[in-house]
Amino acid sequence: MAPLSICGLTKRYGSVLAVNNLSLDVIQGEILGFLGLNGAGKTTSIRILLDLLRPDSGNAFILGHDCQSDGLRARLNIGYLPGEMGIYSDLTGREVLDLLAGLNGRVIDKARRRELQDRLEFPESDLRRRLREYSTGMKRKLGLIQAFQTDPMLLILDEPTEGLDPLMQESFYKLLVDVKQRGRTIFMSSHVLSEVERVCDRIALVRKGELVLLSGLEELRKLAARPVRVLFSDDVPAAAGLSAGTEVIETTPRSWNLKIVGPLGPLLRAIATLPVRDIEVEEAKLEDVILKYYRDGGR
Amino acid sequence: MKVAALLFVYSLKRARTFVITTGLLLAALQLVLIFVGGAIQSSGGFDQLSAIIPPFARELLGPSVTVVMSFGGIVCMGYFELAVMGALIAVAVTLATVPAGEVEIGFMDLILARPLARHWIITRTVALTTLVTVAMVALMVGGTWTGLWLFAPPAVAWPSSTLINSLAINVGVLTLSWGGVAMAIGAASSRRSVAGGAAGLLALATFLLDYVARLWQPAEKIAWLSPFRYYNPFDLITGNALPLKNLVVLGTIAIAGFVAAYILFARRDISH
Repeated sequence: MAPLSICGLTKRYGSVLAVNNLSLDVIQGEILGFLGLNGAGKTTSIRILLDLLRPDSGNAFILGHDCQSDGLRARLNIGYLPGEMGIYSDLTGREVLDLLAGLNGRVIDKARRRELQDRLEFPESDLRRRLREYSTGMKRKLGLIQAFQTDPMLLILDEPTEGLDPLMQESFYKLLVDVKQRGRTIFMSSHVLSEVERVCDRIALVRKGELVLLSGLEELRKLAARPVRVLFSDDVPAAAGLSAGTEVIETTPRSWNLKIVGPLGPLLRAIATLPVRDIEVEEAKLEDVILKYYRDGGR
Repeated sequence: MKVAALLFVYSLKRARTFVITTGLLLAALQLVLIFVGGAIQSSGGFDQLSAIIPPFARELLGPSVTVVMSFGGIVCMGYFELAVMGALIAVAVTLATVPAGEVEIGFMDLILARPLARHWIITRTVALTTLVTVAMVALMVGGTWTGLWLFAPPAVAWPSSTLINSLAINVGVLTLSWGGVAMAIGAASSRRSVAGGAAGLLALATFLLDYVARLWQPAEKIAWLSPFRYYNPFDLITGNALPLKNLVVLGTIAIAGFVAAYILFARRDISH
């Protein structure tokens, strides 16, 4: 049973199709990055999972429970971080955490909360302050603590690192890895491609409400073109007649700048007889592939 | 249930300063009215005031005017004075539109992301509005009896407890009816100011309708639409019993509003 399963989800706002026949499964113990431009339907999809929005058609299941018809059980074991923490500013951080923990109907392990506070550098003194005194980053940290404090089986995080400084982002990534290692599943939307590349096992990319890509990062990297620079010790002819999947960026008598999708074998065979001095191969940039999907759905 | 109780306690805690302040002000107003009434009574001012009311005004306002121009009338005024009714309704509308406010700031997302059914949000709001309305009216009644005990001139007759209770119950149920109307509007709204403003404007419009209908016969035909029609303090002060019909109509408005709120909130999309 997938911790999160979405089947043919569709949501319209009047004539606007916000989510169109979205289907995907999140695998137990993985971190799935949910990507898309602003207005692509990420937040709408997440809100349907939480039964805040009602779909026009399709279903979503959390831990086997229908998010709409069996929403209470579906939400029993999840942690949710919204894109913006909407909290009354006259409450203290502690009041917020206690209230939200109480609304989960579960006893909070104080040691767990303390550990989260330590990892996110959120001391008790800050918890005693009212939210009106909090910075954006502090509110984000509080949001993360409230989402993680019940140690839920599934975490749904909407732009989790928005507003966090680089050090805190680092702590958050480590937290994600630890949580994942304990078998928890994470479904997170993000705009930060480097973050996705670093922590996610797979990505689901939505464009205009439709899922246009669902892939593991390793498979995705294979789709990405690697920049390759070949340096020669003597003058050679301009690069030509290379294998499919090779794009010539620039050639000079003593260097070729190429972009190669797939294995390097054909290139190595092509230059075997040439006076090669050095070959520089850079890692494939996931961004290039993702941006292509952002622009035209990968077509 | 336990989770809903927690939410109720939290909401009550948030509203406590506003509610206690308003309640104490309303109670204090009863004391002030009784103090002033006592002073006028002691100086024989009520007879002079009655004497200066022109005959046309006396005819227009009916026998109630002379009843109000008495110590007992001044005491009872604390239950139908415009500012008092306005304050009570404002408190009810403020509390009844709490869900709209929670949707607006995004707090509802965090609440409903928990295993909490939507109907508990409305149940919490109904309980909060009802409890606070009862507490406000109870504070007013407490203020009245405290004021009478402290400031009533020795020889003057006090209003009966039946009269005070009737006024309190009637104004309390009227307040709850507006709580119901505001809750129904607020349950469908994502902006608290819009919900509160709409309920407030509706209250003002229906108050004016009732007021105009008392002076202008043609408006009488539609005056039954106004909840204020079902609160006639002058009838009570002149010795009539509290009509059950008034309580039934106002109670029905309140309940209809609560039911509409349950239905609307259960079916709506939560977006801010």
